[in-house]
Amino acid sequence: MCDLAAIINIIGKETARLILGLIGVLIVVVVNALVLTWVERKVSGHMQKRIGPKEVGPYGLIQPFADGLKLLGKELLTPANVDKPLYYLAPVIVFIPVLVSFIVIPFDGFLQVKDINVGILVILAFSSLSVLSILIAGWGSNNKYSLIGATRSVAQNIAYEIPLLLSLLPVAFMANSLSLRDIVEVQRQGWFVWRWQFFAFLIYFIAATAETNRTPFDLPEAESELVAGFHTEYSGMRFALFFLAEYTNIFIASAIATTFFLGGYLGPVLPGIVWFFIKTYFLVFVIMWFRWTFPRVRFDQLLNFSWKILIPVAFANLILTGGILKL
Amino acid sequence: MVREISDRFKEKFPSIEPKEIPYEQRGYHLFIEAEKNNIVDIAGFFRNEGFYLADLCCVDYVDYLELVYFFNNHNKLCRIKVTVKTDPDKPSAPTISHIYNMAHWYEREIHEFFGVFFEGHPFMVYLFLHDGIDHYPLRKKNVPVPEWDRQILNSFRPEEQEDGFFLNLGPQHPSTHGVLRVVVKMNGEYMLSAEPVLGYLHRMHEKMAENRTYQQFLPNAARMDYLGALNFNLGYVATVEKLCGIEAPERAQYIRTITCELNRISSHLLWFGAFVADLGGLTPFLYTFDDRENILDILEATAGSRLTYSYFRFGGLYNDLDENFVDAVKQFITRLRSRFSMYENLVTGNVIFINRVKNIGVMDKGYPIRYGCSGPVIRSTGIPFDIRRHEPYAVYDRIDFRIPTGTTGDNMDRYLVRIQEMEISLDIIEKALKDLPAGPYKAEKIPKKLKPPKGDIYHTIESPRGELGVYIVSDESDVPYRMRWRVPSYSNLMTFPELARGSLIADAIATLGSYDLVIPEIDR
Repeated sequence: MCDLAAIINIIGKETARLILGLIGVLIVVVVNALVLTWVERKVSGHMQKRIGPKEVGPYGLIQPFADGLKLLGKELLTPANVDKPLYYLAPVIVFIPVLVSFIVIPFDGFLQVKDINVGILVILAFSSLSVLSILIAGWGSNNKYSLIGATRSVAQNIAYEIPLLLSLLPVAFMANSLSLRDIVEVQRQGWFVWRWQFFAFLIYFIAATAETNRTPFDLPEAESELVAGFHTEYSGMRFALFFLAEYTNIFIASAIATTFFLGGYLGPVLPGIVWFFIKTYFLVFVIMWFRWTFPRVRFDQLLNFSWKILIPVAFANLILTGGILKL
Repeated sequence: MVREISDRFKEKFPSIEPKEIPYEQRGYHLFIEAEKNNIVDIAGFFRNEGFYLADLCCVDYVDYLELVYFFNNHNKLCRIKVTVKTDPDKPSAPTISHIYNMAHWYEREIHEFFGVFFEGHPFMVYLFLHDGIDHYPLRKKNVPVPEWDRQILNSFRPEEQEDGFFLNLGPQHPSTHGVLRVVVKMNGEYMLSAEPVLGYLHRMHEKMAENRTYQQFLPNAARMDYLGALNFNLGYVATVEKLCGIEAPERAQYIRTITCELNRISSHLLWFGAFVADLGGLTPFLYTFDDRENILDILEATAGSRLTYSYFRFGGLYNDLDENFVDAVKQFITRLRSRFSMYENLVTGNVIFINRVKNIGVMDKGYPIRYGCSGPVIRSTGIPFDIRRHEPYAVYDRIDFRIPTGTTGDNMDRYLVRIQEMEISLDIIEKALKDLPAGPYKAEKIPKKLKPPKGDIYHTIESPRGELGVYIVSDESDVPYRMRWRVPSYSNLMTFPELARGSLIADAIATLGSYDLVIPEIDR
């Protein structure tokens, strides 16, 4: 123990906090992905009049571990003619933006790796990076389906980045801060989703569903059109990394919605972290609900929806909020 | 109708005498013996009269090859058989693919199976068979494929070009429903052209038929269309019965109608799930499978199998209905009726779904005549063409039912027509159950070995996908001399290249899904 204290003394308290935080974040990411795979299979199962996994462990709880082991044991196929450096790089860098976003999210009043006073900017900047790995994966795979998927993904992310940003800004206006913890604390007077920002919440949630490539906006991996889209050529653990990243992205998108609109960790009786996870997982469930209910939109409809509806409405909302606050 | 056409034909072609044929025996009204040099004019004449080309096939009589053209009219039943004889040593005929687009594939098919070369055909490339065949499979004698004819096949290799790229949609692709391959030329998200490549499930049922007795071929019929197996079963059995003059008892006819309609519903249910899955909604697929399971259970108790039934036999059925059949069917009818409103809420009324299918893949009324498409595809264009009404078989002439039609012929109409058809099938079953007579389910004294009299016969039924035609030529032996299957998906799929041209890839997938294709049926 004293060794640890000595190390902390040497590297400084802040750095030690960051390192410990990153380890914690990694654990959360992995556990979350395991939980979400299980939840998704159970949710989809029950929505489709099936039971879902039930053989491995009680209620099939160990199923994700079994799946993970299977994926680890699989051969990592590298198709001929792929652009090797890019092909190998893509599943690795898909994780970086995801991990960074975790740093600024307040899980509880005291549980936050680092409270940065430009928290929103960090999240927005890094979440746009995830499209880079998809583009690299699609290009490096040297497969036509992957390439179409990747180009779709880029167009989609550019289109939905804007309403995403525009829907978060009014909240920052009202909180008068860009720090995520401040935004949560301001909501002690009431959640933003009920305080004039309901439309912003809707816009954010739709845009976030599109950003995470989930049905009805799952065009980059549209199964019936593009087989598996950008990750057609990936197998084994490389495929699993994309999978992990997808679930982590869903979690982050829901966590941000919780923080900005649903009062974050605030709530009566139960400890803050429990409230945070209840709210976040409820939103995750809603995203899953979308997936197992809706058919997929078409590519041009997707872009039209963003540019012609979401962005104007988000702008109007932003101007209105700004105007009212100024008055 | 027959007399009028016959008269007008004589006016136009005084040298040819159309023969009137007893329809009850042969399945067609008029027989015209044409020559190579006037077949194009004759096809043009029928096109102008509003006839469509129902079938085009070839029969090898060793001394000569006979091309058989079947024409029919969508409004009034008038089946016309036109034959053209050609020399077996150097068989050739002029193409009619510029008059009927449908002949395009049929001529390619005849070319690869018989070696008949169609002069003027724009794309004389093999359709089903791939590299490495050494003799024409359906010729009675062993005729080797000449070297120059094989070259044609090899020349079909798309090459990368500057203005777009080629995409192989299939044979392994989630939404080609089996092993269809479409070579698509893409420009970004847009399809510049699409060329289906068939033959990945080709089993040559038509050749198999020439090598086994009429009874032995029974299970093969079900293997062609595994979703509408009973309908194919009926198509074959009814044709042979007509050829031999066997009459199935009343009760058998009613049971045939009921089970065929159940089979139609199960096929449509599966299509419904698959179509929505093509559009990205995966949940309805499981719901429809749940409903479909009931039908499979009901039919299993009676017919003994769940998918590829051979329930109908010459002169009747394999056995009588299961004792619980009537109750189970009534229960199923109530259940499915209550489910339609759920499907409506889940799918039909969904804004995303409507935007994906409305005004996509629009077929005008010219398509059915040019391509000979049938089933829900033709009904979606507004033509109430249904073999069950047009040329009744089993007991459909005794049951009153509505034929649902669309207006624009887009994917939405094809969807709605099939949904309504399921409801109407439920009504038909209900009415047939009410009238179900008692009595024997099997005709007596059916010979163990069928030896039909000499001659040919064309018989059609309405399979879940459309007009199914069976053409049998008998030479008085216990083996068919030639058996030809006119399958509905085949002519429906032919419209795809024209509909897909210039559309988004997502729309083309939706259109492909709306045909309700069953690839084993196309490939045979």
